Amino acid sequence: MTTITDLSQVLNSWIRRLRLQRAVMWALRGFILGLAVSLALGSIGLYRAELLREEFLTLVIFAPLLICLISALTAFFWRLPPLEAARRFDRLFRLGERVSTALELHQLHLDAPTEMIERQLQDALAASTTVDAPRHLSLRPRLREGFLALLLILLICAVWLRGDRWFEAARQARGVEQAVAEQTTKIEEIIKQIDSREALSEQQKRALTAPLKEAQQNLRENPSLENSVSTLTSTGEKLQALSDPQSQQMSKGLKEAGNQLAGQEGSPLQEVGQDLAQGDYVSAASRLQNIAVNELSQAEQQQLADQLQAMADALGSTNPGLASELRQAADALRSGDTASAQQALDRAAQSLAQAGQQITFSQTASQTASQMQQGAGQVLAAGGGQQQANQAGQGTGSGQGSNQSGQTNGTDGSGAGRGSGTGESQTGDEAGAAPIQQNNGPGDGGETSYEQIYAPRLLGGEGGPQVGLPDADGEGGDVIGEGPTTPGDPGTSLVPYSEVYSEYERVNNRAIENGEVPAQFTQIIKNYFDSLEP
Amino acid sequence: MTALSVDQFREYANKTESEVGKVIVGQTEVVRHVLVSILAGGHVLLEGVPGLGKTMLIRTLGEALDLKFSRIQFTPDLMPADILGTEILTDQDGRREFRFRPGPLFANLVLADEINRATPKTQSALLEAMQEGSVTVAQQTYRLEEPFFVMATQNPLEMEGTYPLPEAQLDRFFFKVNVDLPDVKDMVEILDRTTGKETPSAGRAISGADIIQMRALARTVPIASHVKEYIANFVLATHPDDPHASPLVKKYVRYGVSPRGGQALVLGGKVTALLSGRYNVAFEDVHAVAPAALRHRLLLNFDGLAEGVRTDDVINELIDEVKIQG
Repeated sequence: MTTITDLSQVLNSWIRRLRLQRAVMWALRGFILGLAVSLALGSIGLYRAELLREEFLTLVIFAPLLICLISALTAFFWRLPPLEAARRFDRLFRLGERVSTALELHQLHLDAPTEMIERQLQDALAASTTVDAPRHLSLRPRLREGFLALLLILLICAVWLRGDRWFEAARQARGVEQAVAEQTTKIEEIIKQIDSREALSEQQKRALTAPLKEAQQNLRENPSLENSVSTLTSTGEKLQALSDPQSQQMSKGLKEAGNQLAGQEGSPLQEVGQDLAQGDYVSAASRLQNIAVNELSQAEQQQLADQLQAMADALGSTNPGLASELRQAADALRSGDTASAQQALDRAAQSLAQAGQQITFSQTASQTASQMQQGAGQVLAAGGGQQQANQAGQGTGSGQGSNQSGQTNGTDGSGAGRGSGTGESQTGDEAGAAPIQQNNGPGDGGETSYEQIYAPRLLGGEGGPQVGLPDADGEGGDVIGEGPTTPGDPGTSLVPYSEVYSEYERVNNRAIENGEVPAQFTQIIKNYFDSLEP
Repeated sequence: MTALSVDQFREYANKTESEVGKVIVGQTEVVRHVLVSILAGGHVLLEGVPGLGKTMLIRTLGEALDLKFSRIQFTPDLMPADILGTEILTDQDGRREFRFRPGPLFANLVLADEINRATPKTQSALLEAMQEGSVTVAQQTYRLEEPFFVMATQNPLEMEGTYPLPEAQLDRFFFKVNVDLPDVKDMVEILDRTTGKETPSAGRAISGADIIQMRALARTVPIASHVKEYIANFVLATHPDDPHASPLVKKYVRYGVSPRGGQALVLGGKVTALLSGRYNVAFEDVHAVAPAALRHRLLLNFDGLAEGVRTDDVINELIDEVKIQG
């Protein structure tokens, strides 16, 4: 006898098959969606130079698989009430609503004669046994979807194979990001170190830490390569400007004097000399101040006077004030005026302490400036400018020459060299060429002499008027014209700005399109030209 | 359960179609629709140009069904009393009294030939009989014998001197069946049968009692809820104000189908299902009877009439447009 259970079993087998078909179908669709999403995200990530090659690979492998799996599971376990499924199968298998009616008759207990219900159920079951469910619910994926998946895979492969420039740009950007973070941490440590130095006054600490804090904040707000290098370099320059070049001479003088004194065994100033030789000016000043002249014997006073005189002579050129105090103390001792000698020694101790503070401050500023320059070099190196970065990292460039910043962009990489000094400041960029070697790196002492290769003497070419060129000292040259060329006076342009802009923009665009400009700089250059647009 | 089994139902139906087929050549769909209408307990309006065998079909049906058959030729001067019956003065045993003399309507199968030629007054005399199965004369109601069917015919071409049936009366016809020209093969067969020595005739297939039982059995055929919902949506979609109405409905329909149309779809679907050997109503059963059940219930607007839009086109578009649930 036919029962509704028989029909339910058939229906359940169809439902299982339908779930399987849905899972397969949606797995492929999920896979396609995952490919599309990963391609889109990957492209955006590459365009923004944020995605490394291995990250891109991870994305394009795991995103499609994950979405595929989620889609398949969701489709398989999607709610499918038997009655709705029966209606669907009736239409799909052309069963003339037999199964759904039979199910309703038994589930909802519709009012109908028993014989009619039984005949209907038998009819529904008989019809259902003729159905070839696997044929109607095929697991074969649709050709169009298969092609779509293949197309997306090919596109991803193309990006993978042809995206070296983007991946490299991303790697550099990531390196810059990391380097900037390191520099930020380093600045934090430097600030702590400065704050903990007892040899510096509070005012000096503030003077040293203020540019560092400003740089730190600037790096956090805008950690781009350009801003980071600029910030670190300018901070280095600010700190370098705080250092006093005479402090080095002063330090040298004190050290030499200290070495002399330290060598005199059993002398009153032996320990002071040792401190000076070690650069411990605070201790030296303290020991000098603690010398009790009254407690010294006559011979010791005489020896002290000689040592003070020798020390004053040694420091006469580098620290005249201290030398004068020392000399006064020596004179007072020789004349037997111990009270005056003691007072002079106290003053000399104070001067020594001040000199020590000045030297420490200057040295700290100089060291920190050097660290900033090195930091800029490291950031540049992370950004791909290895060559110029090496230049930037060489010393702090405390010479008197010109302070020049040069940045070179080209196929060989990009870099920047920046020096600091007290001379004129100059900034220049050159695209598409190798780094310019001008001996103007931070440690090179500024601009040096150049070899003159050719200088025309005929103005306007053959037949033109003779022009007198200046000699080696820059004297004797003819003045052929004068114009308002000072920075404060823009002069008069002969060609309207709007006429030349398009030409420059065209050359720039071509350079970008030809890949002559590194990816990380294209947007900056574009923004620059946009800002110039008339 | 009725005494009649499903197998007997199909056997009787097949036998009837077979007997009618002895006389009527082709027109299988027309015959099927008329039979469905009879088994569903409804009246049929046959429309077609003269000479297509409308009258012949109904007369043959009258022969095949063992029913009391009467034919009324509708003319402009036909009066209600002519079809309903009238009271006449009789003299019985010296006593004179009015006695009711039943008209031709008192039959099981009534052929109302060229119904649109009678005046509206006479046409409306059929209303009570068709709807209630009774006739009221001189304040006296007479019950018509079951089964009672009205098979009306009308000519769509000759409009002069005719009185189009009012909507209320049209709605009372279960089906409106269009009788079209036969194809060449059927035409040759018709010529052979009607011009030979012997005139074919149909034998008795089923009785009135059988029809009543078949009708009762048909009503027990189950119909799934989503099929009923579909019919309801279908009927509502014939109204131009309905949000699911098709473009043709919105443009050309003045009034949509009444609930009687829905009833006709359900009952017609049930009979069709049984005739198809199924024990439940399927969408295909509903689609099979939809044109016959709804074409006379859809009222076209002026644009529709002017542009010659056929109600069948509107119905076929609805079959494509109305969404099947589930």
